[in-house]
Amino acid sequence: MTNLLEVRDLSKRFTSGSGPFRKARSMYAVNGVSLDLPKGRAVGVVGESGCGKSTLARLILRLIEPSAGEVRFEGADLLKKSAAQMRALRADMQMVFQDPYSAIDPRYTVARAIIEPFVIQNREPAGRMQDEVADLLNMVGLTPGLADSFPHQLSGGQKQRVGIARALALRPSLLVLDEPTASLDVSVQAQIISLLAQLRDDLDLTYLFISHDLSLVKYFCDEILVMYLGRVVEALPDTSTPARHPYTRTLMDSTFEPDPKLRRAIVPLKGEVPSPFDLPPGCAFADRCPQASALCRAQVPELVNYSGHAVACHNPI
Amino acid sequence: MTMLNVRDLGVAFGGVQPLSGVSFAVERGETLGIVGESGSGKSLTAMSVMGLLPLSGGRITSGSVEFDGQDLTKLSEKAYRNLRGGRIGLITQNPMTSLDPLQKIGPQVDAVAVLHLAMTPAQARVRTIDILGTLRIPDPALICDRYPHQMSGGMKQRIVIAMALAADPDLLIADEPTTALDVTVQAQIIRLLDDLVKERELALILITHDMSVVAQTCDKVLVMYAGRAVEHGSVGAIFDAPQHPYTQALIGCIPRGLSAGEQLTCISGTVPSVMNYPKGCPFHPRCTRAHDICAVTPPEFAISAAGAVACHFPGDAP
Repeated sequence: MTNLLEVRDLSKRFTSGSGPFRKARSMYAVNGVSLDLPKGRAVGVVGESGCGKSTLARLILRLIEPSAGEVRFEGADLLKKSAAQMRALRADMQMVFQDPYSAIDPRYTVARAIIEPFVIQNREPAGRMQDEVADLLNMVGLTPGLADSFPHQLSGGQKQRVGIARALALRPSLLVLDEPTASLDVSVQAQIISLLAQLRDDLDLTYLFISHDLSLVKYFCDEILVMYLGRVVEALPDTSTPARHPYTRTLMDSTFEPDPKLRRAIVPLKGEVPSPFDLPPGCAFADRCPQASALCRAQVPELVNYSGHAVACHNPI
Repeated sequence: MTMLNVRDLGVAFGGVQPLSGVSFAVERGETLGIVGESGSGKSLTAMSVMGLLPLSGGRITSGSVEFDGQDLTKLSEKAYRNLRGGRIGLITQNPMTSLDPLQKIGPQVDAVAVLHLAMTPAQARVRTIDILGTLRIPDPALICDRYPHQMSGGMKQRIVIAMALAADPDLLIADEPTTALDVTVQAQIIRLLDDLVKERELALILITHDMSVVAQTCDKVLVMYAGRAVEHGSVGAIFDAPQHPYTQALIGCIPRGLSAGEQLTCISGTVPSVMNYPKGCPFHPRCTRAHDICAVTPPEFAISAAGAVACHFPGDAP
């Protein structure tokens, strides 16, 4: 299986502005992240707010510039591309954003929003523009009659479908989905997830799926990366392999099942997420971890690969 | 003992009727979950119980809201003010906006006991520190000197819970208390609410759109759709053998972490807008089971000991 996307040691350091009474402070939003995205697979990145998963998505498309590392798309090193080359390449790698309310220009009609990629890329669709819009709307399960509507006339689910249609307009091979259902109702979420699953089969798409919802990622993805404070702490090769990192275990135990017979005793995670500006010297999870040892507080654990299943922990379960 | 008994509640804003025929009851030491999608009338139900409808121009047009034997719909605003934040506590969805950003945490929580329990500020502070401690907030005395922006979302939500508890309420209404929070923090807050119900014999109404939260915490469930109650029953019965097609779909559309490979059921279409609720059963345009009668006659909703369902063709999922 060839990799469509390869990310190596990708990092992004943000520096907060210094002022007359403030020293500049810096933090790593993404710290040494590597991942392989084989053609046709769906890889999920899961983590809580502030873990760097959305920053990772934006770094991969170079919507923000990485501080260090490498991103290879079909073998080409994206970080060596000029802005113009990058723009041309993005036709093949598109993004669906979390908030469909703000991702679509409120003054654009649905048709205009969907053809925007063609305008940006200076391209003509194969057939007539109108037919292209109708095709794309059909593809995402909307009636072509909506082409002249404005975003405010659509429901959240419909807007997200428009967002997906726009991402598909140039027939990309990679879709980066940044929490595509986080702002939708559960019933609408199920519609969008089914649509994405079907599109993946129909159009041979490869997905990088960013989410905070572990059960959704387990349902939808083939492989799972778990992030905590900018680092990958565990990479699960499939959705059935039991987690070995204590943080992943905690995430799983915090996810409830829709079945009262599967009620669990909640053991609350102690403490709070440390500030990314002031990380402890060792493992960032050590202070909250039930199995932390002295080594954990002194040394950051490397991501060690145990035949496909990688864990960054000194005392894996 | 029944703490809250709502019967046939109807609410109108001008000529629009966003809520009608909602009935449920909550006992002491019991958690009732109210579930439904956005726009189903969950929060409006909470607002009605809290007597906050007039703020947004709404009024109760039918039914009764009985709290500890007293009909709240007939209560004066002055008496309501004593009850609100006193014997009835409210936890709102967004802890980021329900705290005053300009005031330190201590005085914000103290104010509840000063107002409702006629304490002096010094007495109230002792009580505040005590409550923050029981909510497992580290260094409560130190926290009192902090501003909201200096705290995480989960910590802020705990402060909001502390405010709701400060006057020792009998009924707590939590409107999507964990929707804005991360899963690990959600688990902490749910555990906390669970403990409070047991330790203080509180009656808790938990409003949520998430059936997994209901499955984890609630004793009884009320499912709402388009401003109506569609199903009511014990959590065991609702999940074991849901009778209403909407309830079945709500449960079926959640991906389960443990069992991979199963299909999600989708509900086609969208929640109708309050301006044009469908005639007959409001769910019929999206229902796979709908017949002619569903588009004409709204189904009855009558509470029995076993539960209740508002559907012309109730039954187990096919």
